[in-house]
Amino acid sequence: MSRPTRTTEESIARVLPELDYSKIALSLVVMLFFAFFVSPIWTGLVTAFKTTGAVTATTPFVPVLPGTEGFTLAKWTRAIGYLSTGFVNSLAMTIPATIVSVFLGSTAAYGLTLVDWNERLQFGILILFIAGIFIPYQAVLVPLSDFWINLVPLVDILAPVWQLPFLEPDHARLLSLTITHVVYGIPLCMLLFRSYYLTLSDELVEAAKIDGATISRIYRRIILPLSKPMIGVVFIYQFTAIWNEFLFSLTLIGSSSSPAATVTLVLSGMGVDLSGIDFGFRMAGAFVAAMPTLIIYVLFAEQFARGLAEGNT
Amino acid sequence: MASLSLVDATKEFDGDGGGIVAVDHLDLDIQDGEFLVLVGPSGCGKSTTLRMVAGLESPTSGEIAIDEEVIHDQTPQERDIAMVFQSYALYPHMTVRRNMAFGLEESTDQSADEIDERVTEVAETLDIGELLDRKPGALSGGQQQRVALGRAIVRDPKVFLLDEPLSNLDAKLRAEMRTELQRLQEELGVTTVYVTHDQTEAMTMSDRIAILDGGKLQQVGTPMQCYHEPANLFVAGFIGEPSMNFFDVSLDGRTLVSEEFEYTLSEETVTEVEASTDLVLGIRPEDVEIAAESGEENQFRAVVDVVEPHGNENAVHLHFAEGDGRTFTVTIGGMRRLDGGQTVGVRFPENAIHLFDAETGETVRNRVFEEVEQVEQLGTSSAAR
Repeated sequence: MSRPTRTTEESIARVLPELDYSKIALSLVVMLFFAFFVSPIWTGLVTAFKTTGAVTATTPFVPVLPGTEGFTLAKWTRAIGYLSTGFVNSLAMTIPATIVSVFLGSTAAYGLTLVDWNERLQFGILILFIAGIFIPYQAVLVPLSDFWINLVPLVDILAPVWQLPFLEPDHARLLSLTITHVVYGIPLCMLLFRSYYLTLSDELVEAAKIDGATISRIYRRIILPLSKPMIGVVFIYQFTAIWNEFLFSLTLIGSSSSPAATVTLVLSGMGVDLSGIDFGFRMAGAFVAAMPTLIIYVLFAEQFARGLAEGNT
Repeated sequence: MASLSLVDATKEFDGDGGGIVAVDHLDLDIQDGEFLVLVGPSGCGKSTTLRMVAGLESPTSGEIAIDEEVIHDQTPQERDIAMVFQSYALYPHMTVRRNMAFGLEESTDQSADEIDERVTEVAETLDIGELLDRKPGALSGGQQQRVALGRAIVRDPKVFLLDEPLSNLDAKLRAEMRTELQRLQEELGVTTVYVTHDQTEAMTMSDRIAILDGGKLQQVGTPMQCYHEPANLFVAGFIGEPSMNFFDVSLDGRTLVSEEFEYTLSEETVTEVEASTDLVLGIRPEDVEIAAESGEENQFRAVVDVVEPHGNENAVHLHFAEGDGRTFTVTIGGMRRLDGGQTVGVRFPENAIHLFDAETGETVRNRVFEEVEQVEQLGTSSAAR
C-alpha cells in the first residue's frame, strides 16, 4: 500500500512530468529549428503588406498592422496582375502534365508488376525506367532544346492550331514543356506505383482473369480504383515538382516576357528595375506563385487520408 | 456441366541449374458432376495442377481438355471455369453485390437486371442476402468465404476449382463449411476439383481422391479404396488419422521377422508376397487388438506410454517390450481404460495387415476389403435426392 501524499512538493512532483536536461535540450533544438524555418516565411509575408518606404523603415519581421501607416494591399494586386498570364500558363502546363504522367506511370507499373509476361524483359525495362530517374536535368538541356527546335518543331507541325483565339505560336513551346515534364515524370511515378502494386495480392488479378476480365479491364476496374491512395501521393508530388520547375522552362521557353512564360519564369524577373528591388512586390509575387501547391497539399492530403481509410474497409 | 481430363500434363519451372518439375506426367479423368479432391503434402504439385486447369499456368507439355475440347492453350477468360482462392481474393473496393456481379459483367452480355437477379438468387442460397451492400473488409472470414463461393457459383461454370478454400477458417466453421460445400456441389452438380493438404477434407468430401506426391500421381480412387487399399506406402501413410503403423520386416519362410516381433503368416498370404523379402508391415491403429497377454500366436507384449482420450475413442501410444521398443499407435473404444506403464498383449489380425515392398514402396498385399455395395436400409428411406 502506498501512503497518502503529504507535502505540496510531492504533489507537484507527481503532476509534473519528469524533467531532465536532455529533454530540455531537445525542446530547445526543436524550437530553434521551428524559428529557423518559419522566420523567412513570416518575414516574407509581413513584407508583402508593407509599402516600399515601410520596408526600409521597419524591422523586417515586425508586421505593419492594417489601418496604420505603411500598410498596403497594392503589392498583392500588382503581383496578381503581373503574374496572371504566367499563372494561367503554368496551370495549363502543370495540370495535364501531372495527370498524364500519373496515369502513364501507373499503367507502366501495372504492366511491370501485375501483368504476366516475359520476366527478363520486364526486368530490363524496369532497369531502363530506374536509369531514367537518375539522368541529370543539366545533361539533357542541349539535346532537349535541339529536339524540340529541329526534330519536332511543334510550332510548324501544329501551325493551324496557333490561329485559334488566345493562342500564339509561342504556346508551342509550352506544349513542348508539358510533354517534356510528362516524359521526365513517368519513371519516378512508375517506381512509386510499382512499390504499391507489389503489395497487392496476385490472386486479386488472377481472380479477375478467371472472372473473364481482360488486361485493360482489370486495370480499369480493379487496379485503378485500388490505386486511389497512391494517386493522391503521386499527384501531390508531381504537381509540386512540375509547378516549381524552372530549368526546363528557362531552356524551352527562354524569356520571361514570352506569352508562354510559366509562373516560375515570370517570377524570376519581377520587381527588379533600375530603381532597385521592390521587396514587398517580390514577396507578394512569391506567395501568389506558391498558392496552387499549397492548395493542392490541403485538398489532396484529405483525399489521401480518405483513400487510405477506404482501402482498409 | 462437363468432364475434365488431363493427359500427360507436365509443368516445369525454371530453377537454378535446371528445371524443377512441379507436375510430372499427370493423367487424370474427372467425370461430369464429380467432386474430385486433389490431396498431398505441400509442394506436391496439387496447386500447380489446379492453376494449369484454371489457365494461370501453362503446362510445359501434355494436354488439358474440358468436354474433349482442348483448353490448355486458351486464356483463363476463354475457359468456362470459376475458382475460389485460398485468400478469397475478393475485390476490396467493391460491395459484395459488385464482387459477385463482376464475373457476369465481364464474361457475358447479360443485362444489368438479369445479372442483379442472378446475384440475388445465389446470395439467397448462400444465406448472404443481407450482406450484399457491404464491402469485404466489413465481413467475417466465414462470410468472405461464402462471398467467394458465391462469386464462383453465380457464373454457373463448367468446372469449379477450389484452392484450399477452408484453410483460413477456424476448426468449427471449417467442419460446417465442409458439409455446406458438399451440399452445394450436389445441388449444383458442377464438376469440381478441390485442392487441399488436409486428408480429412479429402476423405469426407470427395467422390474420388487423387493423391499426389512430388508431382506424381500416387493413386486415384474413392475415399474407401484409398483408405483400405492404398496403392503404396505413401498413400497408406498419408490417408488416415492417426496414420497407419509401419514396421520394417523381412520374410523368412512363413514368418515376418523384425527386431521386435515375429509374425507368422498363413499359407495363402505367403504365396501372395513371396516375390520380395524386405517388406514393410502396415496396420491401421483401429485394427490392432489389445487384450490380456495370452501367449497365443502373433500376439506380442507391449507397454502403454500415453493414452489420449478423444471421447468417442482413445488413442493409445505403446512400445514393444522387446527389441528397440519401437512405438506405435492403437485406437480403442472411448469406454476402455488403459493406464500408462501397463503391459498388454497386442495382436495384428491377419486380414487387416498391409504389406509393402520396402524398396519400391509398392503395395504387395492389402488388407481383406470387400466394398460395401449396398447402402444399409434402416427404416423407411426418405425420398433420396
